[in-house]
Amino acid sequence: MICSLKTLTTHLNLMAVPKSVVLLTLLFMPHLGFSQENQSDSVQPEYAVSSYPSDSAEAWLSKMAIAVKSLNYSISLVVLKPGVDSQPYLWRHGIDENGVEMEQLNLLNGPGREVVRIGHKVSYFEPNVPPYSLQSNTVNGPFPNVLLYQPESLFESYEFVLVGRSRISGRAAQQIRVISKDKSRFGLNLWLDQESGLVLKMNLVNLEGQPLEQIQVTAIEITEKPDAFFARIEQAMLPDVLVLRSQTETPVRWQVNYLPKGMYVAKQDVHRLPMTGELVDYILLSDGLVNVSIYLQPLPNAKASQDLIGRHESNTILTRQMGDVSATVVGKIPAVTADAILKSIQFVQ
Amino acid sequence: MSQKFENLSAFVDGENSQFDLQGNEVITAMKNDKQLMQKWHSYHVIRYGMRKELPAQMQFDIAAKVALALESEPAILAPKKSWRNIPVLGSVVPFVKQGGQFAIAASVAVAMIIGVQQFNQNSAEQPFNSAAPILGIPGGLSPVSFEQTHSVPQNDIVEQRRRINAFIADHQQQMRLKSVQLSNTPNLVEQPEKNDLQPENLNDTP
Repeated sequence: MICSLKTLTTHLNLMAVPKSVVLLTLLFMPHLGFSQENQSDSVQPEYAVSSYPSDSAEAWLSKMAIAVKSLNYSISLVVLKPGVDSQPYLWRHGIDENGVEMEQLNLLNGPGREVVRIGHKVSYFEPNVPPYSLQSNTVNGPFPNVLLYQPESLFESYEFVLVGRSRISGRAAQQIRVISKDKSRFGLNLWLDQESGLVLKMNLVNLEGQPLEQIQVTAIEITEKPDAFFARIEQAMLPDVLVLRSQTETPVRWQVNYLPKGMYVAKQDVHRLPMTGELVDYILLSDGLVNVSIYLQPLPNAKASQDLIGRHESNTILTRQMGDVSATVVGKIPAVTADAILKSIQFVQ
Repeated sequence: MSQKFENLSAFVDGENSQFDLQGNEVITAMKNDKQLMQKWHSYHVIRYGMRKELPAQMQFDIAAKVALALESEPAILAPKKSWRNIPVLGSVVPFVKQGGQFAIAASVAVAMIIGVQQFNQNSAEQPFNSAAPILGIPGGLSPVSFEQTHSVPQNDIVEQRRRINAFIADHQQQMRLKSVQLSNTPNLVEQPEKNDLQPENLNDTP
């Protein structure tokens, strides 16, 4: 039944039949997430599907964003980073009968680390720390949240290229290459499940195309009902939500004159480093996909020899002595970009 | 003529049904046909361009350059006497002498190697040397190990390392805080105006 509908859809696409017909056929395909309790939401997918050409990378990402939010799934994945042991995760997602999103992320090696999200409440269970909850819509998992939930916000600064099909985790997958438009940041290779649109694999690659980090899904299960795990959660037993102090306004003392396309200053403050207790001026740059920290510290006696560039996992670390100030950039960006950002920093007051 | 190119095109795309049989023929044909060799090269460049896989710096026509370089070798083949007297370089010369004979064969080989290397790049799926497991809290603030690529005077190293490690630890902490803060205070995040200032060295990539 599904198969025949699929072929039908392809034929319809070829003949460029009005989209409403295609959508009608899509509605009968259960794996796209238009299950009965979601029918009231079906306006949203319609918009997302029709706003981009049906076989574009953008359409695939919209499909992914919808699938991530609306399907009941259970995904096993492994994160590989240079210099760190592989990290296996279990990632489950479900929608309960009231339409509330439930999510679980569990680190499977070692003492473990578990994150559970029910609606807007995210609870963290970690070794050596009493459990706590935070108010948030997303779990900070291995995949960048902006890519998963708001891929369209990246379309301006990154180019998404549909590459072709291949087989990942035993499933047919659609490969998409993500490249920063000004070639100032590392790229991504994404493989999305042909059927559901969920992410199957993600490679972070440098400008030469060599992989830096990998996330590989090893098993994926999409079910009609949420996993039984979610039924066992006693919501009243979850830790209380911590209220974070609102950041005090600090005067802006530094200006970054060069920002890669799509990057903005997400945060600027003065705080103490956790390890040394030193006071630093801090700027956080972000484009949604990549976060870059800039630290500025008065260091009058430093020698020029203290300029250095290094690498920690896939973070680039660049320190430069600029007059009386030592400036450091930490982030997953090419060294050239880190240098360009550092050189463009200006003291304003 | 067009059949020839069609075969090559199918071969490059891996769509050749009797790959082993016809593939060999195509390769043999290509080795003897300069035009086909050129096509082979341009098909690959086109393909990588379409897939956005082109490297930041492109060296077109390495084969031709190698052939050209080898052709201009004779200048070295008849060096001055004093040049020959340098012991190391002197021994190199006889080897270079043979270069001319290999010029054509070498250019074919180089072209093939380029093709094959680019072919193989996609299948390099194992980028990481097996990493030594790090004890501690996985996923949390992992112990920081910092690899340094630039040497600094011995007495500064300890101090510098301490500072760098502090930066890395703080960066990781900021990453964890970020998602929470951003989702709590979406209004604080403003998209900046478009920045026209771009460093030159980033712009001249193709």
